[in-house]
Amino acid sequence: MNDHPSTDTPGTLQTRRSFLRTSLLGAAAAWTLPIFIDKTFFTLNALAADSAIQTVTGKDSTILVVLQLAGGNDGLNTVVPFADDAYRKARPTLGLGADRVLKLNDQTGLHPSLAPLKALFDEGHLGIIEGVGYPNPNRSHFRSTEIWQTASEANENRAYGWLGSYFDSACQGADPTVGVAIGGLSPQAFASKTPTGVNFARPEQYRWINYDKTRGPNNASEHFFRELNMPGEMAADIASIAGDDPARDSGGSVGAIGGSIASGGSSLDFLERTALDAQISSDKVLEIARRTKPLVSYPGGRLSESLSLVGRMIAGGLPTRVYYVSLGGFDTHQNQQPAHDRLMQELAGALGAFAADLKAQKNFDRVMLMTFSEFGRRVEQNASGGTDHGAAAPMFIMGGGTKAGIHGRRPSLTQLHQGDLMHTVDFRSVYASVLEQWLKVPSQPVLGRKFSPLALV
Amino acid sequence: MLTPLPADRWDRTKAAHLLNRAGFGGTPAQIDALHKLGLASAVRSLVDGPAQPKPVLPPPWAKPQDLASKRDGMRDQVAMSADGKERGEIQKRFNQMQRREQVGHTRDLGIWWLAQMRTTNDPLLEKLTLFWHGHFATSVVKVRDAFWMWQQNEAFRRFGRGHFGALVKAISRDPAMLIWLDLRDSRKSHPNENFARELMELFTLGEGHYTEKDVTEAARAFTGYRLNFREQSFRYAASEHDDTPKELFGRKGKFDGDAVIDLILAKPECPRFIAKKLWQFFAYEEPEPALVNHLGETFRLCDYEVRPLLLRMFSSEEFYSDRAIGTQIKSPVQWLVSTARIFDTDYPSPFVLFFAMRQLGQILFLPPSVKGWDGGKAWISTSTLLARYNLSGLFVETATGPMLQGIQKAVRDLGFDTMNDEPPSVRMPDAGAVDVAKLIPAALRTEPAKLIETLAGRLFSGPLAPRQRDAFLDFLKTKPSPPDDASIRSLLHLMMSTPGFQLC
Repeated sequence: MNDHPSTDTPGTLQTRRSFLRTSLLGAAAAWTLPIFIDKTFFTLNALAADSAIQTVTGKDSTILVVLQLAGGNDGLNTVVPFADDAYRKARPTLGLGADRVLKLNDQTGLHPSLAPLKALFDEGHLGIIEGVGYPNPNRSHFRSTEIWQTASEANENRAYGWLGSYFDSACQGADPTVGVAIGGLSPQAFASKTPTGVNFARPEQYRWINYDKTRGPNNASEHFFRELNMPGEMAADIASIAGDDPARDSGGSVGAIGGSIASGGSSLDFLERTALDAQISSDKVLEIARRTKPLVSYPGGRLSESLSLVGRMIAGGLPTRVYYVSLGGFDTHQNQQPAHDRLMQELAGALGAFAADLKAQKNFDRVMLMTFSEFGRRVEQNASGGTDHGAAAPMFIMGGGTKAGIHGRRPSLTQLHQGDLMHTVDFRSVYASVLEQWLKVPSQPVLGRKFSPLALV
Repeated sequence: MLTPLPADRWDRTKAAHLLNRAGFGGTPAQIDALHKLGLASAVRSLVDGPAQPKPVLPPPWAKPQDLASKRDGMRDQVAMSADGKERGEIQKRFNQMQRREQVGHTRDLGIWWLAQMRTTNDPLLEKLTLFWHGHFATSVVKVRDAFWMWQQNEAFRRFGRGHFGALVKAISRDPAMLIWLDLRDSRKSHPNENFARELMELFTLGEGHYTEKDVTEAARAFTGYRLNFREQSFRYAASEHDDTPKELFGRKGKFDGDAVIDLILAKPECPRFIAKKLWQFFAYEEPEPALVNHLGETFRLCDYEVRPLLLRMFSSEEFYSDRAIGTQIKSPVQWLVSTARIFDTDYPSPFVLFFAMRQLGQILFLPPSVKGWDGGKAWISTSTLLARYNLSGLFVETATGPMLQGIQKAVRDLGFDTMNDEPPSVRMPDAGAVDVAKLIPAALRTEPAKLIETLAGRLFSGPLAPRQRDAFLDFLKTKPSPPDDASIRSLLHLMMSTPGFQLC
């Protein structure tokens, strides 16, 4: 506590105490914390202080971006078995012929709107995993999404998400931004025993929103909010540095009766630490958002917005290991073609720009993006020019360090289960591979059991 | 050891604590009234409920539907159509309509219950119903019928403070539970063990107090439980019941489901398991082992009646100890209901409520698993804490338009495109519903210290620490003197945006 910067500037505020309060709290908002606050903070986070179990952060390690295609993407019209007679027969009007697809080989082609992905495939940065699903597939959006998010069996109910279990088992004591979901609500995949991970649709939402019309340092609400949301001991440190009588400021906080629950591990303690974590991580996110701009221009659309934000957070060095983004609208029961074309275009445009952005940042090699959808669609198109809920479907993986090409095996289009493709790869094998080969953690504690991995890296 | 609290140690802080835990908190006037009753009458008034409870009116749609006839009607239509494609379309439209209706009703149901909790004059009844909902945690995700979910909720209300055995027997016949834990598919030839296992592990005994054999034997006893889709009710199919002898906990007999429940109730672990869980919900986590034993013994001596157990709990020194008062992290539901109750105001809007439940991590009728919600510290992450702080603004601030638009967008963007096709009714609420004039007499505006004391007394369960009090005072100094309504709204928002406000 003795190595704090001395300051004799009188400042503009009335007392020495409130001046120090302002400057120190202001400093806490900055990217780098003053050393003494830094120390206090780390003493508070006992786990983080123990470097032996400190998590490698996304600042210098690999990063996973999970992209959810919500609603059930038509896998067969995304990665197209154009040469298969059964495909042409099942899709008399929706089918994409050899003349239209972007051929990857003499059997398989990509949807015509996926040119940017074809380019990534050709340069060796896009992998396709064929036939991913699970036994006894469920055709309800909600339930099947839940199965994918929690890595459960079809008949099993799990409370925690697979990424949440990863945070629990491998990221104890890490910064809360170890997981970042772009969106107004946290995905079920993030649900964890020790709540970790943050979510925001725009960085400006990941902060305390007050209604004081004054902006900047003179916003009184903001100023006092900061003071009220730091642990009592830390505030007492600051007060004692400011020359206040420390005894006056000790004695617990709001809600504490007597000092008896101020011991480590009390609910109030925990809330105060989380409140400080929230302030610091919110400051980081906002600071990065202010400082960074995408290095390439992204096309329009929500997915592009989300991925360009992820790109900025990566460029700014947020210590995140897992980002989560989502694109909806894939539930194409009727008149599928125009809607699916648009979605494919949005997907490929956003992914292409994201790849270019990461390359320009020189971060492409440490980022892997993985797509998933709760299910594919029925092999046979329906009477409304659409497709109904199905089962197995392909996944994409993209990045400088990913093993490109086609992985797994495409399911047969003639041996179907209730009109649906039978999976050839269990999605938890993909998760296991990503966990072990990319995030470099044992997969069994996360997934609950062993799944044979694919070579994806 | 559940020592009765001496009547002369009853004070206002304890009255506030009782109202927080046995209910959802209240206004200073309500706390005063409870305090004046004295310990014994105060506890009785909550545990027994009012002499004239307000009737709990069901949501208008909560009536059994003849699901079988509905489906038959659709099938008739299908039969009349010659065109194969059209048949498929009729069926699809029917399913889609059914699903939409259920999703809408489910959303209504959560909001309906939050309204009950806010307006009831029998708060313990709703609090206890919330406890049982988390204990027999059943999710609409699998049940997919709002009427059946409502019916289960009513069963908690009807049996919740009576005999625990009667409650377990009622829930073993509850249609939502039958669907949730696959009891309705359990056949004599293939007994499904799901219900039998959770019955012992989660509902009555806890892990380690039964064997795998007990589970398989109990599963056989619970065969024959079926659903009547015409009346949406429980049905017993004697032909599907396995009435051969079974052996459980070392006893042999032709046990049926109720007999299995009676055998479980006879085990000493059962009263201990349930009484401990009640204590953790109402008082504090990780109670001392001696206290747990005592609680179990008390519950047994109460002959499994919940009401007298609660009476003893709420009259005990331990319930009002430092370990208990002001130490519980409010659940999202407690946070929402108590915020409205302490301000004596309505919620910002049903629309905000729906979003809030999702964002704060507790959606009624949608527990994450059969284990219910973890609770405690698991409610809090940086995101959920900031969400609480920001939702506070919707209760007290007026200029909340942009925030509400953000919520609308979030619900449209994420909440619904995976769940169903329809966004919830987008109704702009009356923001800043709190009436400042009602909270503080005009005279107090010229006395900042008293003003803060008064507001803090309403919001927090303990006295303010000096540093908090100073911060609020310094904040008021930056505002016009005497403070206008807007300044007081900002002060309230600031007070709610603290760790302390998350505790009760």
